Amino acid sequence: MAHLSPDRLADSALGIADPLTAAEKNHLASCAECRSELGELSRIVDLGRQPEHVTPQRVPTDAIWQSIQVQLASQATAPATTEPSAEPPPAPPTIAELPRRTPRLRSWFLVAAAAVLGLIIGAGITTVAVRDRVEVTSSTSLEPLPGQTGQGTAELLRDRGRPELRVQIDAPPRPDRYREVWLINTDGQRMYPLGVLPDDGRATYPLPPALASQLEGFNIVDVSIEPYDGDPAHSRESQVRGVLPA
Amino acid sequence: MTQSSSARIVAVPGRVRVFSVVDDARPEPEVVGEHTDWGAASEAELSMGFARGDEACLQEVFRRLAPLIYTIAYRALDSSSDGEEITQDVFVSAWRARDNYQVEKGSLSGWLIGITRHRIADRQRARGRDLRLVQAVTNTSDVQVQPETLSTLIDRIVLTEEIGRLPHPRGSILQLAFWEGRSYPQIAEQLDLPLGTVKSHARRALRHLRTQLTEVTSWPT
Ligand SMILES: [Zn+2]
Repeated sequence: MAHLSPDRLADSALGIADPLTAAEKNHLASCAECRSELGELSRIVDLGRQPEHVTPQRVPTDAIWQSIQVQLASQATAPATTEPSAEPPPAPPTIAELPRRTPRLRSWFLVAAAAVLGLIIGAGITTVAVRDRVEVTSSTSLEPLPGQTGQGTAELLRDRGRPELRVQIDAPPRPDRYREVWLINTDGQRMYPLGVLPDDGRATYPLPPALASQLEGFNIVDVSIEPYDGDPAHSRESQVRGVLPA
Repeated sequence: MTQSSSARIVAVPGRVRVFSVVDDARPEPEVVGEHTDWGAASEAELSMGFARGDEACLQEVFRRLAPLIYTIAYRALDSSSDGEEITQDVFVSAWRARDNYQVEKGSLSGWLIGITRHRIADRQRARGRDLRLVQAVTNTSDVQVQPETLSTLIDRIVLTEEIGRLPHPRGSILQLAFWEGRSYPQIAEQLDLPLGTVKSHARRALRHLRTQLTEVTSWPT
């Protein structure tokens, strides 16, 4: 027999069809085309019963639009503007994208863009020049991981109000490796790279703005041993580690 | 969306530049071309204006589609900041790559959803990599809940939008049947329509959804 009519298939998927005749059942059993169409219609009925609403009021469209304008504008003023057609939609990663090892932290850009537009006015003014010395707010010892040597301390500072992490380690790195300092979240899912640790094992790093007032769970100080392979990700080999008090 | 003191960006062939950043009391700029009011334009008209590089058109496309794009990204990644970043990325890269959009190949919303899908998939891959890495580093081994597949989520969101947009009484019939679990006889009684009419509306609505879903979610890549 011929294919089932589109109406018949739709009614079947909706569960409002008269029962299928023996001939229709036979046809469905032998016709992949009708089976696939019925399958897709049934899938739509199934998904249609699980709505997922868009609520425009909850979408921060103004902030996003401002960021888009800033981005397009800054691109336009850059000396070497590429032709629009040079970048197809599923763009391959560029060198500029490689350092994004902690992707969710890129929302800094939104903050930066808002600041450019003067939407954030006066933030931080009250803390500037109030303190003129370095103040240690918390600290932890850094202990070697199994198979590693070395010991040190990590201190959370406020230097004239600016949050910083000071790290000191007494052991040198291996000659063919360098070390990097990380703040890892206790949720075990996120980490910030703070920077490379010099060979003398002493350095002070500014904290990401998001952690300026609280560590937000990024309490684990980790020093990794990194090969010179150009891979920005954590090597999975750590020398020392400690946990700052929450 | 009418920021009186925001940067106005004007498109010239091949590039975008800031035109004016001063206060502007006019509600909207006069648009050179056939359209002065993109708010009333059809999706097809908007698609063509977008492809031509009309900046005012980008703003209207954003106004209409940003909530959809954001919701897809927000739900897929379960993060409002990722939702914001992906939405921003999608519109910036779509605008920069607008020469690649061809009106005759499909709808603009479908094209934007396609870009969104790629961006989210990239982000999910990166996140999976980071998650595995941190687990290896910290010796934690949380079991990762397998999320709903991205394409199913997008289909659900698009279908919800389409069902919400169906004209009366087709929209009411499908919403009552799908979202509130009413039977067709109950719906017929509630809307005071013959049962046969209700069923025939439901059937046509389903076939319409089938067409729309294909149109919107299967942009050729
Ligand atoms: Zn058939």
